[in-house]
Amino acid sequence: MTNELVTKLKWFWAWQDEKEEAWLAEMARQGLHLNTVPFPGSYQFKSGEPADYVYRLDYQSLKTKDKESYLQLFEDAGWEQVGEMGGWMYFRYQAAKGEAPEIYSDRESKIGKYQRVLTYLAIFLPFMIVMMPNITGAERYGPFVVILEALSFLIMVLLAFGIIQLIRRINQLKRNT
Amino acid sequence: MTDTNIQKHLPLTEATYYILLALVAPKHGYAVMQDAEDISQGTIRLAPGTLYGAFTTLENNDLISMVGKEGRRKIYQITETGILVLLGQIQRMEIMLQSAAKNFDLWQEKTAEEESYD
Repeated sequence: MTNELVTKLKWFWAWQDEKEEAWLAEMARQGLHLNTVPFPGSYQFKSGEPADYVYRLDYQSLKTKDKESYLQLFEDAGWEQVGEMGGWMYFRYQAAKGEAPEIYSDRESKIGKYQRVLTYLAIFLPFMIVMMPNITGAERYGPFVVILEALSFLIMVLLAFGIIQLIRRINQLKRNT
Repeated sequence: MTDTNIQKHLPLTEATYYILLALVAPKHGYAVMQDAEDISQGTIRLAPGTLYGAFTTLENNDLISMVGKEGRRKIYQITETGILVLLGQIQRMEIMLQSAAKNFDLWQEKTAEEESYD
């Protein structure tokens, strides 16, 4: 049963990173250890002995030349990189009992992570708003245009919702502790 | 380097203070983590994400600079501006300590007790 590859499909939104971390830890307790994240929403696990792993997600837009020193720093601190998807870095730590390791040791730097995600989402919103009239203003009003319009409207709503969720998360962090 | 250029970086956060102090001698990231914990008598534990972000900010502000590489690890050291900022911070902390020695009786008693043990 060990070292067998198991793929699971599950969707987490950008503001649900802590939920995702908890889910990955729960999988590890069942003996499924994250091996790679091949596509958004798809997780490949290696089956093995159940273990107490702590997973943490970081968000970075690193230049290639900075990435190796970034990963080395995490590795030196005991964090193994187990996946990367669209700027999200998946790290794993084998924690001793009662140990609760974090990749951010103060509030400001943790807020910084969510601000980077927020900036990324915020870049897309004006782009979508500019796109909308171009689609609606199309001369021929066929089913294709309607589908396209509905789709871009949906993306816009999701982006706006994501931005609101992230702002709430940041404000929550600013208030607490 | 004018005084306002120094002042705009002050006060330093506790984490930044220990990072700069550790980088008075050149070090790579993990050595800074260990050193900061050691010299702060265990009061500061830097997580890698926090330290990486601090390196980026400090380098952009020209308070530290990369002076070499050891394998994949970047080695940083405090810059001249960084030293002036660090000195400015220590001066502020000295004023804070003196203010307690002058105005806070519980602190005066505590330090007097400690001196009598020595």
